[in-house]
Amino acid sequence: MDNTRRFSSPGELKAALGTEQYIASDEIATIMYLSQELGKPLLTEGPAGVGKTELAKAIAQATCRELIRLQCYEGLDETKALYEWEYAKQLLYTQLLRDKLHETLSGTDNLSAAADRLADEEDVFFSMRFLLQRPLLKAILSEQPTVLLIDEIDRSDAEFEAFLLEVLSDFQVSVPELGTLAAVHRPLVVLTSNNTRELSEALKRRCLYLFIDYPSIEQEMAVVRLKVPELNAKLARQAVELVQSLRSMDLRKSPSISETLDWAKALVALNARHLDIPMLETTLSILLKHESDLQRAKRWMQRPSGNTRPGEDFDTRPSRWRN
Amino acid sequence: MEERIVKFIAALRAAGVRISLAESEDAFRAIHYLGIKDREMFRLSLQSTLVKDANNLPVYDELFPIFFGGNEMPPMINPSDDLSPDEAQMLAEALRQYNDQLRKLLDKLTNGERLSPEELERLAKMVGLTQMDNLHYREWMVQRMKKALHFREVQEALQELAEILGKLGMDKQRAEQLTQLMQANQQVIEDQLRQFAGQRIAENMSDRPKDEGIDSLLNRPFNALSDRDMERLRKEVQRLAAALKTRVALRQKRAKSGQLDAKATIRANLKHANVPIELKHREHSLKPKLVVICDVSTSMRYCSELMLSLLYHLQDLISKTFAFAFINRLEFITPDLVDRDPHAAVAQVLERMPAGYYNTDLGNSLEDFQREHLGTVDSRTTFIIVGDGRNNYNDPRLDIFNTLAHRTRRTIWINPEAPGLWGSGDSDMLKYAPSCDVVLQANTLAQLTAAVDRLLT
Repeated sequence: MDNTRRFSSPGELKAALGTEQYIASDEIATIMYLSQELGKPLLTEGPAGVGKTELAKAIAQATCRELIRLQCYEGLDETKALYEWEYAKQLLYTQLLRDKLHETLSGTDNLSAAADRLADEEDVFFSMRFLLQRPLLKAILSEQPTVLLIDEIDRSDAEFEAFLLEVLSDFQVSVPELGTLAAVHRPLVVLTSNNTRELSEALKRRCLYLFIDYPSIEQEMAVVRLKVPELNAKLARQAVELVQSLRSMDLRKSPSISETLDWAKALVALNARHLDIPMLETTLSILLKHESDLQRAKRWMQRPSGNTRPGEDFDTRPSRWRN
Repeated sequence: MEERIVKFIAALRAAGVRISLAESEDAFRAIHYLGIKDREMFRLSLQSTLVKDANNLPVYDELFPIFFGGNEMPPMINPSDDLSPDEAQMLAEALRQYNDQLRKLLDKLTNGERLSPEELERLAKMVGLTQMDNLHYREWMVQRMKKALHFREVQEALQELAEILGKLGMDKQRAEQLTQLMQANQQVIEDQLRQFAGQRIAENMSDRPKDEGIDSLLNRPFNALSDRDMERLRKEVQRLAAALKTRVALRQKRAKSGQLDAKATIRANLKHANVPIELKHREHSLKPKLVVICDVSTSMRYCSELMLSLLYHLQDLISKTFAFAFINRLEFITPDLVDRDPHAAVAQVLERMPAGYYNTDLGNSLEDFQREHLGTVDSRTTFIIVGDGRNNYNDPRLDIFNTLAHRTRRTIWINPEAPGLWGSGDSDMLKYAPSCDVVLQANTLAQLTAAVDRLLT
């Protein structure tokens, strides 16, 4: 029974993502919708922690599809991503089935006849039973439509990327012993990249492109209100404003949305009434994960003038290096 | 509409966005699904199918309104409709004192007329807009057309017009109202000019013939490159790097010579009932560690920038890169390279260099290096200098250079000058050369690529 869902307009998709607690901008909803209509993979790029992976999870929930995730890393190869023969199981079976094999082969008079008969039974050992399905094959062979998330594709090697091209353009895989396996349903494919290296033109050509940037104050407010409803509105706004101004500073690692949420939860847990310096000092490490960033932010907050533009006179370079 | 989209794609390509045929086909399919009625959805369907690089988004955002919509300019108001015959008379009188050139535009403002296509065409010819095919010059073109129309003089005239009308006996409030309307009209005409300039440039871009083959550029010396050539080479670097990458990656892969990898061996030999028939070895890490010192003085800038670009694109083949730039002082620039392209990074570094008169001084820069960054150099490092070795008769500090060369695995000097010129004038190249393992001449991008290929072996 196919109970998965297709959307008939970007608006519907946006609303559906909304019920899964994912606040999508019009841009995200429209491009996601196009990806569904065109049957093309969606490549999302953007800074870490803006909800790229979250988008794939939400779309899987919203469409009632199973989410199959392939986490990329350096050295990932076909046997980990696509399929592998389960040698141990094959061996075990031949051992256990020895009697049966003996029986099958007993009627033959010479060696070549035995070999022929064995060859007839070969299919048993190279069947789906012994094929260990890795995420890509699983997504292709699944009886139900699925969402395939290929996470952090930029971490994999260039060779793996090239291999992925075949899968993404035709959604079929050839296994030498079994022939070509084609997709039952085209999965919705979401690729994410943190842009640590340039992806190949060929891969980009096969995908739709979506750049997700840090959200605006309003969007981030909406996310915080949705995910941490216990935090009162005024405090939430102050918190979001602070995070936004931290992002405009030249930090080694800017705080992401997930870190804003962690911080908001921490504020709730600590029962904070308002944001004051001691409260900030104790909780700021949730937002900033580098000592130098922390020092910088603290110095900025302690300045008497307060909320002027943080990026501006926050130059720690010696004056002779400024221009 | 289709024609318009095709032109738009051509203009995007001219602006340096890589768009394949398959992608433009996708764009049309996307439009088929979402239609063109909703402008925002239309924009997004084209954007997601055509632009695959966040760096190209600004270009897209600039070109899109020029090609599609944004045509709804505020309507011109015709102030003269509203005037009584007496007032019209006074206005005509007041305007009479301006010369013909100003009168032309002033009349348009009083009658609420826009510039006709013929007038725009004439202006375009006059200011040279017909040849422009770069959006950078859009605002400049607008300024020139404004000048040709005597915009500033008309503005001044409008300011005194209210006064003159008052003297002629018009009600003060009415006179002010009138001139305000005329000023608003002038703003509309300025917007018209801006839009026209954008459209014209965009059209020129989409009509531009394809650039001649890149091969000749690859072999052109750095000092003979124009800005535009450089622009194209910057894009080419990416492709060269990709080609280089496959080659080097293959080489690194084949050069497996590490110790036995027990885990992988057991896994590989399960099919032989664990009789170790195929041996697997650990991959020997051949990724080099680089310390690059680049001369970014005017003569060397292009060479250094392209070198940094190449290295930037090859990051995943290199275990670690420390990049430095110098003119008379050393700057650590790896942080600049992390999230910017090398062109922007080099520009940024140059901004940090003190303004004014300075000389290339490698000696002093080496001293900086020894003092602050010696920790980056160890016996596994490949030490690369990109420079012409011209020190302006400063102390070359050979002692430091020799120590560094001694401490590193390899020392490679990349010099764009022909060997015949080494040692001439203020060149200290011949003094440095004996301490280097290899000195490579790289005066063109092709040579530079070959040099990078060598240092990754």
